[in-house]
Amino acid sequence: MSKDNNQQAGQSVDQSTHFEVERFLVKEVRALDEERYHDWLGGMLTKDIIYQLPTQEVRYRKDKKVLGNSQTTYLYNDNIDMLGARIARLSTGIVWAEDPRVRNRRIISNIDAEWADVEGEVNVRSAFILFRSRMQRDQATHYGIRMDRLRKEEGQWKLASRVITLDQRVVLDKNIHCFF
Amino acid sequence: MKPINKLVQQEGAIQDRSIFWDEDIYQKEMEEIFARCWLFLTHESIIPDDGDYQATTMGEDSVVVARQKDGSIKAFVNSCTHRGNVVCFSDGGNAKAFTCPYHGWAFGMDGSLVDVPLEKQAYHNDIDKEALGLKKVRVQSYKGFVFGTFDDEAPSLEEYLGGMGWYLDTFMDAPGGAELIGPPMKSILDCNWKNPTENFVGDGYHVGWAHASALEIAGGPLAGAKGNAEYQGVGLQVTVPEGHGFGIIWEAAAALHAGPVHEEYQKWLDERSPAIKEKLGEHREKFYRGHWDAAIFPNCSFLYGTNTFKMWQPRGPHSIEVFTWTLVEKDMPDKLKQMIHAGNMFTFGTAGILESDDGENMEQCTQSNRGYSTRQGTLYLGMGRGMEYQNPELPGLVSDGWINEAPQRGMYRRWAEFMEGKPWNKLSTSAQLDANK
Repeated sequence: MSKDNNQQAGQSVDQSTHFEVERFLVKEVRALDEERYHDWLGGMLTKDIIYQLPTQEVRYRKDKKVLGNSQTTYLYNDNIDMLGARIARLSTGIVWAEDPRVRNRRIISNIDAEWADVEGEVNVRSAFILFRSRMQRDQATHYGIRMDRLRKEEGQWKLASRVITLDQRVVLDKNIHCFF
Repeated sequence: MKPINKLVQQEGAIQDRSIFWDEDIYQKEMEEIFARCWLFLTHESIIPDDGDYQATTMGEDSVVVARQKDGSIKAFVNSCTHRGNVVCFSDGGNAKAFTCPYHGWAFGMDGSLVDVPLEKQAYHNDIDKEALGLKKVRVQSYKGFVFGTFDDEAPSLEEYLGGMGWYLDTFMDAPGGAELIGPPMKSILDCNWKNPTENFVGDGYHVGWAHASALEIAGGPLAGAKGNAEYQGVGLQVTVPEGHGFGIIWEAAAALHAGPVHEEYQKWLDERSPAIKEKLGEHREKFYRGHWDAAIFPNCSFLYGTNTFKMWQPRGPHSIEVFTWTLVEKDMPDKLKQMIHAGNMFTFGTAGILESDDGENMEQCTQSNRGYSTRQGTLYLGMGRGMEYQNPELPGLVSDGWINEAPQRGMYRRWAEFMEGKPWNKLSTSAQLDANK
């Protein structure tokens, strides 16, 4: 295809693609807010999705030493099966912590979409706010960014990978058993 | 504050609700328990090299634990002796010294004061630097697990662990030993620190109910526990006079890991079992193959098998920070360690499918005591009372089955002993218990 010049890796996507990407992200968070998890899992994710949320570490700027046997600690490091297992659990009807429901509200902004190094794929950086409210006055707010890879399958954009940066070191919440 | 014998009654079975709420009781705990007990700091494998360090807390005291030039490990309070400012702001790393950002006092990795700006000009060389080192923490390791205490009178860490040490050796003294993978996850729970400790020390009872949804999707050997369908003969509970304890489900070590992790880990357990039997004997081979929920008094807990290792760091009477590492055997292949690390995050990480069940319960168990009239009541841990017995071949008191509240009662008995301010030589020990056999 002669897209080369217009789809160079690292270049901002064209207006029409940006519109599609933004629509996808808005539809995605709507599905999550509305707890339509099977729509998300089955219709919006690729089968080879990688879904990650590494922990923050508070380190001095100059100190880059990797200590001993340390590894990246991920709060989420899921493939499609693990995400599926989480959703299967949420669908059992016996998750006491989700009944009464948790009111999750997601706000997506600062969407920056660039062509990826694989033709037709897009890297999207977006900022998020996730507000969680439960019971009477129990609440937590999470801020961060998501680095997404979107890929078109059969004419539909799908999420092929997501790396979430949650800015808190100590997660100020009793759990983050929710999707970002 | 009521007398201690009113706060915990009937051999630990009855607790006054105020112990989960009252500020004065909490402050007394800081003094009698957290300033005296051996508290887990880090694992040696996390800080192998000279200058490697981790920052953590003992109770609410901020401390730094660091590897020294001679290979030993020291710990000190993270507060400048000049005006009290914090000297280390990171989670950990490698350093030669910590310099206070306020006036520039510099402390070596052993906590000693090594440099004071304007020492000659402003102090006229008249400052006793030796007397102004950071407050020292007494440090000892048990099989690589590093603990600290503020109490010079405390017995050795080994004595503090008492009868629990023999059980811990199941994996800590397995060939090659055990280690923790960090950095830890950190999150909060608005609960009293005792709620999660009692949950880990012996609460097999909640598993089938609180975690029913996770057990339903997990399948595997633990699926039968869903809805409390089966519990007879499948395990054992242990409490030692030192307040530590655990519950075990036989042949279930890898049970909460899914798919490929389960298979690889089970293969490892099967291959290693003969070596465990040879080194540690038949009992501990059986323990090695089981799944444990366990706690080391006062605020260290772990699940052997699922391999989550946690500290419940108190932050006032109604809040804790949860630190979570992954527990593995050192000799495991790196790939298996990584798989277990990921499996631990999936189940008992901050986003874990079982962790979220517990968090909600812990918080509400504490927060309900906000009500004045509610708080006048007591809580009940009477399950299986009187069924504990001494087995000539096992330390401590054991109970058959994995659903019993004996370890929780043991924990509250120990809590009361400390809160009465008893000196170390008046505290119960496994050695005394064994003498009665």
